[in-house]
Amino acid sequence: MGPAKRHHHSIFCILPPHLLEAIMKNGSDDQRRAAAQTLRSAAAMRIARAAAHERLRALAPAASTGAPHKKRVIFNAAHTEKIPGARARAEGQGPTGDAAVDEAYEGLGATFDLYWDVWKRDSVDGAGMELDATVHYGKDYDNAYWNGERMIFGDGDGRLFNRFTIAVDVIGHELTHGVTGHTANLDYNGQSGALNESVSDVFGSLVKQYAASPRQSAAQADWLIGEGLLLPGVKGVALRSMKAPGTAYDDPVLGRDPQPAHMKDYVTTTDDDGGVHINSGIPNNAFARLAISFGGYSWEKAGQIWYRTLTDARLAAASQFADFARLTVVNAFQLYGAEGKQAATDAWSQVGIQVT
Amino acid sequence: MRIQFETLGGFAYFPGLQRPIHIDTERLTGLQAAELESMVRAAHFFDQSDSIRPSGAADYRCYRITVEDGGRSHTVQVVESAADQSLLALLAYLRTLGPEGPS
Repeated sequence: MGPAKRHHHSIFCILPPHLLEAIMKNGSDDQRRAAAQTLRSAAAMRIARAAAHERLRALAPAASTGAPHKKRVIFNAAHTEKIPGARARAEGQGPTGDAAVDEAYEGLGATFDLYWDVWKRDSVDGAGMELDATVHYGKDYDNAYWNGERMIFGDGDGRLFNRFTIAVDVIGHELTHGVTGHTANLDYNGQSGALNESVSDVFGSLVKQYAASPRQSAAQADWLIGEGLLLPGVKGVALRSMKAPGTAYDDPVLGRDPQPAHMKDYVTTTDDDGGVHINSGIPNNAFARLAISFGGYSWEKAGQIWYRTLTDARLAAASQFADFARLTVVNAFQLYGAEGKQAATDAWSQVGIQVT
Repeated sequence: MRIQFETLGGFAYFPGLQRPIHIDTERLTGLQAAELESMVRAAHFFDQSDSIRPSGAADYRCYRITVEDGGRSHTVQVVESAADQSLLALLAYLRTLGPEGPS
């Protein structure tokens, strides 16, 4: 390795990962090789992530005292994989008649409203960040994801999956990845990754319950994630069930919903970033149980405990299920006394996690 | 040249959709084989980093591609948004091949 290459490498070490990734995409061959080398260095990535995250956390207010900044912009990728695509609808503009554009716009609004109305959180970053989404991404694209900055929605293949904007909880799920990125920043792997996924399902489901007309109580909610996404002919009702993990679908093509509801069925795998979409069933079920045991609306008590935990500085990025559970019990006690503490302890115990 | 291609990750985990696609260029038409081999070359596949992951992203799809050619074998696992254009072109071509390979 020549001196020039070492020089590159030392510069890249202090660059945040998103810049490295931009270089991976747009840099010259030499730059890309050096950036790739740096990205492979897990230690450097962790340091950069932690430093960036600490800055974000220090900057972001927990709750706003001013007016909300609801700024939505929906882009249309027109069935390409080019991001962001053409502007299709911006804040304040009327419906376009394009279902994916309008559903994304409404879903972003519903998610913003839940976080603002209930926790006075001003957007994803707590500081009025613009909410961007790209729809009609790719051809027959069966996915929705958060790329670190925006939501991206495919239209589905028309055979197994419908368009991904059809379920408001999926939109709430994706935006919550942004909230988590600005708060606990849970590592997207293994148990901390399953917690990251579960937090997105929890707040995604709360968006659905809050946006329903009339609003749904915990007892009335279906606790399904992605209802309406599976097309007729597919044997299933949704992608996940928080109330009954493992029962959302059982289909010859998709296979059987692999989510466990209890620690005794925890799945150890290297697929799916260590089973982040599989083992999230366990904390999902703890939340649904707690919300149902409290009664009333889920955001009134159980949601308060979860939000307080997600934004609690004691929640480390590498938290495991037991760490998260312990902190929810601490916060349940602070918010609702001995009764709240007991309810949270019981909910976790029912999924096989004992908080002592 | 033999290629194994898997799609991993995404918003949900579907056990039934995790089957890899196997392609053997000897079983393709001459034109298809030439097209695929030129895409692998254009992507500098054997020089690609073996794992590229984004930070702060979630629910992304990931592709795992293994190419065996002339005694060499290399596996690349790449997140869709982090792939370069030539690798994206190869991915797009591979995605058009059904579970049983091209007809």
